[in-house]
Amino acid sequence: MIRVDAMGTTKFPSPDVFDAARFLSTGRHGTHTTAELTAVGRAVIEVRGLTKTFGDQRAVDDLSFTAPAGKVTGFLGPNGAGKTTTFRCLLGLAEPTSGAVLIDGRRYRDLASPRRKLGTVLESTGFHPARTARNHLRVIARAARLDAARIDPLLDVVGLSGAADRRVGGYSLGMRQRLSLATAMLGDPEVVVLDEPANGLDPEGVTWIRRILRIWADEGRTMLVASHVLAEVGQVVDRVVIIRAGRLVAETNVADLTDSRVTVRVDRLDPMLSALRAAGADHQLLADGAITVTGRDTTEIGGIAARAGVTVTELAKQNAGDSLEALFLDAIGGNGQ
Amino acid sequence: MIDLVAGEWLKLRTTRLLYGSVPAAVALSFAAVAGAVLSADSAAELESTAGIRDALSVTGTGAILVLVVGIIISAGEYRHGTAADTFLTTPRRNQVAAAKLTLGAAIGLAAGVITSLACLGVASLLYAAEGATFPFGDTEVWAILAGTLGYSTLFAIIGVAVGVLIRNQVLAISAALAWIATVEHTLVTLVSDLGKWLPVAAGQAMVRTNLDDILSPLAGTAVLTAYAAAIATAGIRVAATRDA
Repeated sequence: MIRVDAMGTTKFPSPDVFDAARFLSTGRHGTHTTAELTAVGRAVIEVRGLTKTFGDQRAVDDLSFTAPAGKVTGFLGPNGAGKTTTFRCLLGLAEPTSGAVLIDGRRYRDLASPRRKLGTVLESTGFHPARTARNHLRVIARAARLDAARIDPLLDVVGLSGAADRRVGGYSLGMRQRLSLATAMLGDPEVVVLDEPANGLDPEGVTWIRRILRIWADEGRTMLVASHVLAEVGQVVDRVVIIRAGRLVAETNVADLTDSRVTVRVDRLDPMLSALRAAGADHQLLADGAITVTGRDTTEIGGIAARAGVTVTELAKQNAGDSLEALFLDAIGGNGQ
Repeated sequence: MIDLVAGEWLKLRTTRLLYGSVPAAVALSFAAVAGAVLSADSAAELESTAGIRDALSVTGTGAILVLVVGIIISAGEYRHGTAADTFLTTPRRNQVAAAKLTLGAAIGLAAGVITSLACLGVASLLYAAEGATFPFGDTEVWAILAGTLGYSTLFAIIGVAVGVLIRNQVLAISAALAWIATVEHTLVTLVSDLGKWLPVAAGQAMVRTNLDDILSPLAGTAVLTAYAAAIATAGIRVAATRDA
């Protein structure tokens, strides 16, 4: 078996490859109309009352959410929350017990040309160890009637050109992950569904994935990305859907999260809390003595503190990452990673 | 459908499966024919109808490997986890099963042609070596070889269908080989009247094996075709409804 040195052959492409990624996916394949590409925000993936049971276990329980075009939707939850089962129902690999998952109003199996409409990376997907990366892509291009001329530039984009004619059996986990991504993008799909895409990638690879996700979303594609690690996708998601034990616990746009939460610390808590109550400010006292205030800006809160005669020791607007992390930890019961 | 079959063919060519199994199937048939010819007592015996049958009816021996190739064409997708990718390309799984059955039939037929020609060659040389004249003009020769083509094709189809039904490749191959090696014999011992209607016996009828209690070649072909059709239909149905 060929062992490929991970350092030697799995280098991530230089930034000019991102231009190649863009070049590859600007509708040259003839599948996107201008209308489709500009309709950012249109709900493309719709999960409607999805339930999937295995025996008496409800892996997914009456789950509904949407993923819009032109956005990266993070599909978050701890391991075993039902993310992969949801994806398997979305992709027609498993039959929902009830409910449905629709892509532009159709079930996956009813799509005219599924590989052109939707590309996916699943955790469970394998490769034949004796087949080369190029041949793996050729097989799919042949059966799905896709343009085989995309294969070489795609292998370039994911940084596998040098290993294209080696048997996949000798690939590292990160190389397989990048071959999966190339497979997903072979049909230049409008919708991209990724299950834990950063698995097996080093930190450089995780950054690379984030940049690719952003580029593809900005082109108008619908990106749905499952992860159990918020840090992997937190910086790139526009929208989050959080599930736990098969049920929806939160679905929100990240922009709506960061409206106006301010963290304040003061030398004396009691007069500050009374002043906030008197001012009618929505607030919450955290265990470490900080107070989060919603709906007031820092100037107003500073004023309230001054009038109450307390000394402010810290006053900060929460950033999006903090709000998202707070939501995630809250949603999964504080046990997340 | 042509694209799906072409895709499956490309899949098969980009692994090493055929490059090992087809020569092995030919070698197996080769050895069986050589053994049968060399064990004959006289040139006159070799030239008789019974002699031709003894020599050539074993040409289909290699089909046991064609059966295994058929199983690997379908169950192999689960062994390596490539089934999901296949069904993402073709979400209607009964179409995938139909494409694989078509490819399997073609592989079985091609393997049958290759082994038949190879065995015809070795048999004619060995006949000459034994001082007998190979009866190229005897219709019995061509009837046996025609039966071998059908036998190989049907066994390949049965292999693909068994691999669709039993997704564990090792289990599927073990079950198929166990059937051929022991299960069918055991059933015959238990219920002797049933014997000639079982798949391997029907196959032996197709290639005109010298046996007492056996169907006519035509009836054997019909019975083995019916088995293949039944298992293939079951496979297509199950593939369409089961979670991948």
